[in-house]
Amino acid sequence: MILSGMRFHSPRTAEEAVQLLSDLKGARVLAGGTDLLVDLKQGLTDVKDVISLQDIEGLKGITKERNRIRIGATSTPQEILSSSLIRQYFPALTEAAQSMASIQIRTLATIAGNITSAVPSADFPPSLIAADAAVELLCTESSREVPLSGFFTGPRETVCRTKELLVSVFVPLPSSNTGISYQKCTLREANSLAVASVASRLTLKNGKTERAAIVLGAVAPTPVLASKASAHLQGKAPSSEVFEEAAAMAKEEGKPISDIRGSAWYRKELIHVLTRRSLSEAFERAQGKSRTKK
Amino acid sequence: MGQQREKNRIVVLRVNGEEHSVAVHDSETLLDVLRDKLRLTGTKKGCDLGVCGACTVLINGEPKNSCLLLAASCEGTEITTIEGVASGGELHSLQRAFINHGAIQCGFCTPGTVMSAVALVDRNPDPTDEEIKEALSGNLCRCTGYTRILEAVKNWKKYKTIKESPSPSYDLDKFKTVGRSSPRVDAAAKVSGQAKYTADYYFQNMLHGKILHSPIPHGVIKKIDTRKAEKLPGVKLVLTGKDVPDIMYGVSPARYDEYVLAKERVRYVGDEVAAVIAVDEKTAEEALNLINVEYEKLPSVFEPMEAMKKGAPQLHDRFKNNINTVVDHHFGDINKGLKEADFVREEEFVGNHVYQSPIEPHASIAYWENDGATLVLYSSTQVPHYVQYMVARVLDIPLGRIRIIRPHVGGGFGSKAGTTPLDLITSIASKKTGRPVKMVYSREEMFMFGRGRHKQHMKFKIGVKKDGKITAVQSRIYLDGGAYSSFGVVTAYYAGSMIPTLYHIPNYRYEGFRIMTNKPACGAMRGHGTPQPRFAFESLMSMIADDLGIDPVEIRLRNAMDPDTRTCNDLDVRSCEFKATIKEVRKKSGWNQKYGKLPPGKGIGIGCGGFVSGAGYAIYRGQVQRHSEKKPETFMKKAVFPHANAIVKISEDGTAVVLLIQAAEIGQGSSTVLSQICAETLGVSLHRIRIRTEDSDISPLDLGAYSSRTTLMGGNAVAMASKDILKKLFDMVSRIWSCSSQELEAKDNRISHKSDASRVIEWEEAARKYFNDQGPLVGTGWYKPPEGLGGDYKGAAVGTSPAFSYSSSVCECCVDLETGKVKLEKFTDYHDCGTPINPQAVHGQVEGAVVMGAGETLMEDVRYDKKGNILNPNLHDYLLMTIKDAPEIFSGIVDSYEPEGPYGAKEVGEGATLPILAAIAHAIADATGVWIKELPITPEKILKALKQKKS
Repeated sequence: MILSGMRFHSPRTAEEAVQLLSDLKGARVLAGGTDLLVDLKQGLTDVKDVISLQDIEGLKGITKERNRIRIGATSTPQEILSSSLIRQYFPALTEAAQSMASIQIRTLATIAGNITSAVPSADFPPSLIAADAAVELLCTESSREVPLSGFFTGPRETVCRTKELLVSVFVPLPSSNTGISYQKCTLREANSLAVASVASRLTLKNGKTERAAIVLGAVAPTPVLASKASAHLQGKAPSSEVFEEAAAMAKEEGKPISDIRGSAWYRKELIHVLTRRSLSEAFERAQGKSRTKK
Repeated sequence: MGQQREKNRIVVLRVNGEEHSVAVHDSETLLDVLRDKLRLTGTKKGCDLGVCGACTVLINGEPKNSCLLLAASCEGTEITTIEGVASGGELHSLQRAFINHGAIQCGFCTPGTVMSAVALVDRNPDPTDEEIKEALSGNLCRCTGYTRILEAVKNWKKYKTIKESPSPSYDLDKFKTVGRSSPRVDAAAKVSGQAKYTADYYFQNMLHGKILHSPIPHGVIKKIDTRKAEKLPGVKLVLTGKDVPDIMYGVSPARYDEYVLAKERVRYVGDEVAAVIAVDEKTAEEALNLINVEYEKLPSVFEPMEAMKKGAPQLHDRFKNNINTVVDHHFGDINKGLKEADFVREEEFVGNHVYQSPIEPHASIAYWENDGATLVLYSSTQVPHYVQYMVARVLDIPLGRIRIIRPHVGGGFGSKAGTTPLDLITSIASKKTGRPVKMVYSREEMFMFGRGRHKQHMKFKIGVKKDGKITAVQSRIYLDGGAYSSFGVVTAYYAGSMIPTLYHIPNYRYEGFRIMTNKPACGAMRGHGTPQPRFAFESLMSMIADDLGIDPVEIRLRNAMDPDTRTCNDLDVRSCEFKATIKEVRKKSGWNQKYGKLPPGKGIGIGCGGFVSGAGYAIYRGQVQRHSEKKPETFMKKAVFPHANAIVKISEDGTAVVLLIQAAEIGQGSSTVLSQICAETLGVSLHRIRIRTEDSDISPLDLGAYSSRTTLMGGNAVAMASKDILKKLFDMVSRIWSCSSQELEAKDNRISHKSDASRVIEWEEAARKYFNDQGPLVGTGWYKPPEGLGGDYKGAAVGTSPAFSYSSSVCECCVDLETGKVKLEKFTDYHDCGTPINPQAVHGQVEGAVVMGAGETLMEDVRYDKKGNILNPNLHDYLLMTIKDAPEIFSGIVDSYEPEGPYGAKEVGEGATLPILAAIAHAIADATGVWIKELPITPEKILKALKQKKS
């Protein structure tokens, strides 16, 4: 379908943007456009006013702010995968960015779009949730910080209100004995959505798992924390047996559907495998053995 | 423009260093503005959804999909398109590398791919293979298999200092031009974005059309109300079934069953119901929503096995039980053959519904010239002549009143081998409006129009002696045909007729049924009807080899076809180096060290195939004639008219050779190969040849790019026309030199006396003299397939050919035994294409076939919901392999000479697909211990089979 009837707004500040969001009924935020324009062209959604974020300097950049990293809303996957800061502290996020779509999309898309579109197979949320990330939402009256673990409410549904704008993603700096790994399975090597994905995080203390989080992607209406499997690891010494047990538990915690990319049965099998693999890698990283694959 | 309802604003775009003030509306994408307003048509629209990468441009040096960028958002940025890559009349070194390494075929993805590559080398001049693959993984290519694109980018720096790399040749002792890996004659135009495809043409006062498709799979149109649509400002014409001729069309003359627009019935979601012609595409699209159609829904049926049952919904009255075609072929004595066998194995296989997915969408533009007497039709087609024939039939005007123009075509693979609704609607609408009318399919419409590969349900039984020698082959195949006949009758015959060409089969029975279902019609795709049966047959051969403890390579050698053989179904094989292809792949791949000896998760497998070099008979039999004067055509075992015709015309100064032939260059390289044959025969350099294939007013009839016919048939016509020129020149020169013309030869741009070196004249001087004395120097040539091809049974014509190609392929893969995911590592392929005219072009065809074949084996499948809607009519969900999925490919050519072919050449285009499917299935079986007999072989199917095997 050929697009028509849209009005394009390009505010210079986040404040202007939220003012427009508040003033223009039904307006939508246009970050990278890789979801919104695709949906519009397929006739899946309709919009009168689009508010582009591209000219807002304040939404750009990846910086270290005290004990956390701030990723500006319009940071692209290409910027994220090129960021030495991210690579140093969150190699899993670097890898998630690398695994996304194609370079032509990675230079357009944004982290805010990847999060707020709330597509169940999105690549950033699992690792971010595992890393205890939070998002900053701004509206004309106020701003609030929401932990990403409580952000998603359903497929393409979040707690972000229509007049709110996601301005930043905050990721706390991990302790040196924390490791996160993101594993996904796709049907082709590029430009392909995850059939299932798993981000695992392990924080070690005295040879035992002090804190674990296994976050599943593409196997439920939202990214989900496999809480039983995560709890199972807690306080135990990491081993392939324990990982296997947790993986088997995670498999039962996913609530996948069958669709064109795979059946519910297959997705569950994948959760099992990907959980085990991501735990092994997270363990290595927590021990400081491996940083990034590339 | 959405007709005055949408305000324009002026934006200033900086494109390739130049500023353009353009009036755009806020919804317009950069892609549409570049193309429609700035006419920078080198940037292509392939999928319009950010997947194919054909629209890649650089924004401040970063590659981005221009289809996902609003033009309004690009102000203040530096935009670089393909037109801005070359500078000062000099191509970029990368572009030179693309030309010299054969990285270009249809060229439609080329500009986008070059843009991604430019962005890469700008920031990283020495990229690794992995970095190149990563950088180009957003550019889908359907032709090349990516092998040579990778090579080109790897070697790009070389071309900073050189323009051309010396092309290695096949057999330079004998030939000068033939056998040389010359760069494509159209490569420079394609790599620079200058090559125009149909949608790249714009005419003054042009209108745009869109089609209203049926939203239901089966029904009767009770009422159509177009009044609201007609009143929408900007709408010029609305057409429905009552406005189009009562003449049916299709592909196979015996089964014409489609109207331009539905007269009463609709039979699949996508069936053409109405068309709107308006001032722009958007207005036409809006008007479609204002057409009110009342349907009476009819029950529908989507599975062939269901469709054949009594009481199933009937699609067409004339096809009882929805059976469109029945084939019952029996050669030898199948019962006797099975009785003689020491071992018999029977297996069932299921294919998939594959769509050709050329990156260029179908497009047509029509207008009428000579005061409305002549139709000019631009069409993105493989078969300009058949389109001309079919439009003449439906419009009931003489063929001579139609001028068909086939611009560059961005891939076809069979999807553009028939006449489309776009061809017919633009022709009709431009007549009614008196204005040029352009229509282009969206990617979704391409899927709905269909004509992809038939999904086949196959049962194969093979009987062998203890030593593996075949005694009998029996198959029963149900082809899911979709709602109309299209090519399907022929497909059903091909599914059986090619099986006996590969091995000696003394007793053979094939029963085929093409069934109609409420889905898009299936047609001819690369290998027409044969890849799935070949997959089944080859898989079964490998299973039997394992059952008997015979090496799978060995069992093939024991049964392999020999030259100069008449097959059991009366096909005449002349040249045949099939055994050589098997032996070569065995050696080159290290088969003996690997088969059955690799660790779990790693596997190696073999597949073989063969195909026609051009169909022995044309699709329609009789003379060219119009609908109203059609008389019954009786089948004669000979070609009624030449299938390929060529005119060679020498420029008046003698320095240029203009080669005229309608042969459809669709990316496969026919224009290059035909130019080489022309140059070789004339004894002149290749660069002197200018080939003109596009315009039916200029170039004589050639049946087009289907059935892998162009090299052999077109090549013979070109060689004959070139010889005609030489005869005229030699006659003249021999008179001057008082010798016989037999004593003369033409070589290296000279004509000389074979035994008297002092007698020599420059070629152009001789040609100029000819013109001065006798007027235009023109040669003509033509090719008719040999008379009497094929047997005397019903359907014997299908599968006949002047020559057959052969090939073998070995696949090595790695399977993740926990997820079922397959990584193709390496392909080793040898092809018997006779003597190659252009080895690089042969390798390009093979590499492209490997990757396309691998995609259809592993991931491609058109899927439907329960209401007949396609679930994946886009390139997000219908998966074509990317450069990161493509395996390493070795392509080799065995020594062979085909006496019927020009300079001994025969086909490579389609045949190269045939071995691929089974080679992969076999390699997976070797890696995992499980055979997957249902395509595509997805990770899920592998994992399921592994789990079942365990339990």
